[in-house]
Amino acid sequence: MLTFLAKRTATLVAAVLLSSYAVFLIPYVTPGDPVRKIIRSRVAGDVVDDSTVKALSESLGLQDPLPIQYLRWLGDFFTGDMGLSHVSRTPVADQVIPALGITLSLVIVALGTAVLVALPLGIIAALRQGGKVDKLITTITQSFIAMPEYWLAPLLVLVFALKLSLLPSAGWSTPASMVLPAATLALRPISFFTSAVRSGVIDALQAEHIPAARARGLSRTQTILHHVVPNGLVPLSTLFAVWFAGLLGGSVIVEVIFAIPGMGRLLYDAVINSDIPLAQGGVVLVVGLAVAITTLADFLHRILSPKVGGTLA
Amino acid sequence: MRKWPAIDAAAVVILILAVAAVAAAPWLAPFPPDEQNLAARLAAPGGAHPLGTDHLGRDTLSRLLDGGRFSMLVAALATVLTGVIGLSIGILSARRKGWLDEFFTRTNDVLLALPEMVVALFIVAAMGTGFTSLLVALTVTGWTPFARLARTLAYDVSARGFVEAARVVGCPPSFIIFRHVLPHLAAPMLGQATLRFGQLLISVGALSYLGLGVQPPQSDWGSMLAAAQPYAERAPWGILAPGLAIFVIALCVTLIGQRAARRAADPIDAIVTEGQHA
Repeated sequence: MLTFLAKRTATLVAAVLLSSYAVFLIPYVTPGDPVRKIIRSRVAGDVVDDSTVKALSESLGLQDPLPIQYLRWLGDFFTGDMGLSHVSRTPVADQVIPALGITLSLVIVALGTAVLVALPLGIIAALRQGGKVDKLITTITQSFIAMPEYWLAPLLVLVFALKLSLLPSAGWSTPASMVLPAATLALRPISFFTSAVRSGVIDALQAEHIPAARARGLSRTQTILHHVVPNGLVPLSTLFAVWFAGLLGGSVIVEVIFAIPGMGRLLYDAVINSDIPLAQGGVVLVVGLAVAITTLADFLHRILSPKVGGTLA
Repeated sequence: MRKWPAIDAAAVVILILAVAAVAAAPWLAPFPPDEQNLAARLAAPGGAHPLGTDHLGRDTLSRLLDGGRFSMLVAALATVLTGVIGLSIGILSARRKGWLDEFFTRTNDVLLALPEMVVALFIVAAMGTGFTSLLVALTVTGWTPFARLARTLAYDVSARGFVEAARVVGCPPSFIIFRHVLPHLAAPMLGQATLRFGQLLISVGALSYLGLGVQPPQSDWGSMLAAAQPYAERAPWGILAPGLAIFVIALCVTLIGQRAARRAADPIDAIVTEGQHA
């Protein structure tokens, strides 16, 4: 367990360092003068003349070797100084933190919905394994994998916003405006969650303590509720963490379609407008969080099911 | 060979027809895909335009066929590229073991944790839009499922008696890989490739939808959807056709891929297929 902890933590640190170094290099690999791009993310006013550029380049340490500049940049980043956005000219930190909050609430609502839908579906399918109900649930939920979000969202908008006028077609101000984006985002996780719950419950049903519990006189319902369902939930918990991490930046399409000012939309805008500091701040934050969440989920998984072993876990 | 269920057989037929239609697009399409007819803007399906027209009066069916070539070609290229990379890394990990295996497994874990779309956005930010960056964006994270599968299977087969026997009688590693390991991996890897093709088709569409994939004047199903969306209320057929195309193709390959994966997981089936390949 300790070596596992140490290895995982080392991987986490290495991953964050490597990906943030790649992000740090963006001004150097994109077209244009890297020095001017970096100055623009550090100094509020417009700098045009060469002598000021030269002076600033020296005072900001832009002549130092890249690894040293990187360490300084990373240090600034972790103390909350992510530079100035090239477009809005305001601090990047003031934009990424609220955006992250909005995306977090969107992802929690979407994944919560997915769990509420997938749990009963998966349990019913498992209890009727091989039957008509199981086949129906499995076929329908698995077809969700093939549904592109950028098709589902316009269809939902067309039906529920434009034709029926039941829900707003965009925005992020009222609970009603959360319905369509959360539904769009929940569809694919429902597919994966249902299949995980189903196979988890099927496995749990075959365990030897089930007939033992029945022999002790527990009713079928009690046995299922106390012995089958909890064991069936273990695979779901891991999958939930993976999706949670993935959707932090993976909700780009939904946020763009529904005009939600979250992290995905921010990253998209940053790329479209070549707003390097904004893209850097967003990517490092999202990647760092995603890697941290999956590592944490791995630890939890180890604690919940000690039988899991091997490097592939 | 077991009897194919009707739904899987239908998936194969639809897929073959779609590939044939897209390949024959220049001959099948009733109009050139870029021909504008401002007199027939947002025309409803019927008559000369079986699937209607878009906001510039371009024929939706012709654009669907032409755009499909791009979408399917890029998805297929990315599938082959990620498949070959993943297969090589997976076999290398399983055969060499030690620090190399550890390194690739860790890299795999980390890439799995990264949101695919953020990686794609990062690559477009660094490389700009275009065909190459589209392919790179899909490949950087796309090889991991293949590597995972290939590694597990290569480990399994390497522990079998016949591999040990081949090694003992002095067969070179290349012989063992080509004669024993690869045939064992072929069926499950093809199943995985089929599944991944569907997901990559959706990802290509996603990047094009956002304007980060295909660049005008070329169009694909994702960019067609994006262009039709402002007119969704007046001309819903514009968003129906390309979206349905992606959904149906992705659904067909998913069904076929899942069938292949089930067969590969079934030991009796596996013996039969192994016998056929050996």
